[in-house]
Amino acid sequence: MSEPIIRMEGIKKIYPDGTVALRGVTFEVLPGEIHGLLGENGAGKTTLMSILYGIVPLTSGRIFIKGRQVRVTSPNDAMRLGIGMVHQHFMLVPVFTALDNIILGAEPRKKGFLIDRKEAERRVMELMERVALKVDLDAPVETLPVGVRQRIEILKMLYREADILILDEPTAVLTPIEVEELFSFLRRIREEGKTVIFITHKLKEVKAITDRVTVLRKGLVVGVRRTRDVSMEELATMMIGRKLTGVEKSEEVSPREDYLRIKDLWVRNDRGGYAVKGVSFSVRSGEIFGIAGVEGNGQSELVEAICGLRPPEKGDVYIRSKRVIGLNPMELYALGLGHIPEDRHKWGIILEFSLKENAILGVHRSKRFVSRYGMLDEPRIREWTESIIKNFTVEAPGSDFPAKSLSGGNQQKLIVGRELSKEPSVVIASQPTRGLDVAATEYIRKILIRMRNKGKAVLLVSADLDEVLSLSDRVAVMYEGEFMGLVHPSEINRERIGLMMGGLRLEAIS
Amino acid sequence: MDTSMLFILLQAPLYLGTLRLMVPITLPAIGEIITERSGVVNIGLEGIIMLGALASVYVGYFTGSLLLALLAGILAGVCVGILHGIISVYLGGDQIIVGVGVNVFAYGLGVITLYLSWGTFANSPLIPDSARVPDLHGISPFVVLTFMSGVTAWYLLERTSIGLRLKAVGENPKAADAAGINVFRTRFVATVIGAVFAALGGTFLGLDWLASYTRDISAGRGFIALAMVVFSKWNPILAILSGLLFGFFFALSLTIPSGIIPDQLVWSLPYAATLLVAAGFFTKTRAPAAIGKPYRRE
Repeated sequence: MSEPIIRMEGIKKIYPDGTVALRGVTFEVLPGEIHGLLGENGAGKTTLMSILYGIVPLTSGRIFIKGRQVRVTSPNDAMRLGIGMVHQHFMLVPVFTALDNIILGAEPRKKGFLIDRKEAERRVMELMERVALKVDLDAPVETLPVGVRQRIEILKMLYREADILILDEPTAVLTPIEVEELFSFLRRIREEGKTVIFITHKLKEVKAITDRVTVLRKGLVVGVRRTRDVSMEELATMMIGRKLTGVEKSEEVSPREDYLRIKDLWVRNDRGGYAVKGVSFSVRSGEIFGIAGVEGNGQSELVEAICGLRPPEKGDVYIRSKRVIGLNPMELYALGLGHIPEDRHKWGIILEFSLKENAILGVHRSKRFVSRYGMLDEPRIREWTESIIKNFTVEAPGSDFPAKSLSGGNQQKLIVGRELSKEPSVVIASQPTRGLDVAATEYIRKILIRMRNKGKAVLLVSADLDEVLSLSDRVAVMYEGEFMGLVHPSEINRERIGLMMGGLRLEAIS
Repeated sequence: MDTSMLFILLQAPLYLGTLRLMVPITLPAIGEIITERSGVVNIGLEGIIMLGALASVYVGYFTGSLLLALLAGILAGVCVGILHGIISVYLGGDQIIVGVGVNVFAYGLGVITLYLSWGTFANSPLIPDSARVPDLHGISPFVVLTFMSGVTAWYLLERTSIGLRLKAVGENPKAADAAGINVFRTRFVATVIGAVFAALGGTFLGLDWLASYTRDISAGRGFIALAMVVFSKWNPILAILSGLLFGFFFALSLTIPSGIIPDQLVWSLPYAATLLVAAGFFTKTRAPAAIGKPYRRE
């Protein structure tokens, strides 16, 4: 066996606030392999790689690259050692062109400081030719879809002659077809002798693309395996420390009434273009209606329009036959809307506020919580909060603590608990399990199914295709503001859905 | 009255005045564009103009040396720039509060210096001729400096790697950091450069335009410069053009003789123009995305 190209030895990381992210991790990558780094959110995968890339300083431990001990204190150091990282949140400047983004920090120059854009373009074209990865170099990045942005990130690293490429959850923003393209690209550069570290929490991807895999759990290495010698079940058990039960498929509930009806809805995005282009559908009581699609195809704007957070351009929204266009969120809540927002820190929770305060957000004017003389009724709010904490198994030190003292999963449980305790008839759940660990994800999914079984109408918007397919009774696929088709998950295969996510209409592929 | 207005508009002094009076607003605006493109706001321009003027007049008055006076003005800018840079870039402080602090401090220091040095609260005596900026072929060298600065700044921002990196830092500091650019140093240097330009605007007022220091020497020019930054869409070339526009209103307010229109209305011309421009143009422009936000590595 050849010498490892990377060896990280006894890496410990304790953040200034006392959080222990890594408890002594030893991690080895062989040259020319695709190495999976598998673990749940918070297992320390990204931290470990950020240390290797010089963004996060390590507390203790040693790093060897190509056999030599090195100190990596900045991305510059890492790049000089041939390491490039494609972050989960792209590190691009939206107003710059693709070309400027690729050459940023390593611009070819003439006469001192002048950028030689001709030379830059020539070099990048040559690189794109060599690795068979194409992008429009003159387009500002903000006008390009996320799949293309990821290619720009990869090109940026290859342009700097990285021979070790770190990819942090690269498939999260891609359609199934783009994922396939990415995988075949990675296999191609492996042939060229490049080394790839592939960070993921998806077992299927580990099986599909990696040669070896290191599993992290709670800041420790649980095991290193050759991918072909290990089963998905074994990997799952290593990753979460117990067997995965999965979500039980719900029994049939015969849908009755249209609780939520959307008619020809047009919504603009922040830049003034249409994000939602004439969408119509209805969600019936006792069903989960799923909206699948790559993020950024208008799902967020659609949800915001339904929830009174963004005025639609035209079209109608009805909740239980009542037209609700133009009503504000509080009026909508009163009519029976519950909203689990996609960005919990932006729309869902106020981190500095106590759990009690967060638990009544949106219902804080309700008579239940306001005593005579207009004061908040402290004992009743406490009772309400504690019942949410109990019923939704929120792990919290106490209802007076600020929301930021909870983990992400428990913050989400608090939001879900609050929204569902309002006894809504329509529940809008937008990316409800994003960023949650496996246990919390399972829990939230069960709750959504329970809501459905209780006869509520649930609208589920998720970029996680497996989630949409396993929970929903009907699924619409959204692409560039339109529905590509409406299907029953039991009657369609993933490949078809994948094509629809890429912009093909159901009629065109059946 | 119509004929007399027309007469004023045809006078050469109005246009020569425009060229001069664009200097103390355009130099700070160009500097602020550089600062803001890196993601830092310095609303202390007004105060830096005062400090630049004060330092140069003080040194010019007591030494009679133009060179020392100029250096003193620049040094004042460097000092405030370093202060602002340390607090807002390295310590991650609130940029607005630092700027307000500079403005308040500068005004106070000006009044105290006037009183202690010259026993007055209003204005200093004239500086000796040896410390005044001489005209070259009837034009102030500061006018030439202003035009050159604008063109150079544009070239720097749009054509050089320094500019690309500076703009990247102002748009997405994380991306710049990941590309190996030192976000803190870039912002710090941009802040100091911006402050020096503002101080040069003040130096012009002190050593050229007034040849003395007065309590209200900057007269809101720092704030007009801030408005010009937005009006010119963070483009130094457009800053020159908007400098000519606002300079024209300053010159016009000085050229219209008393008695035609009430003086107070005339004097308020440049400020009224600023308000109109602010109301009309500010909605359509896009600022650097990371402006005003301190950068921290997690």
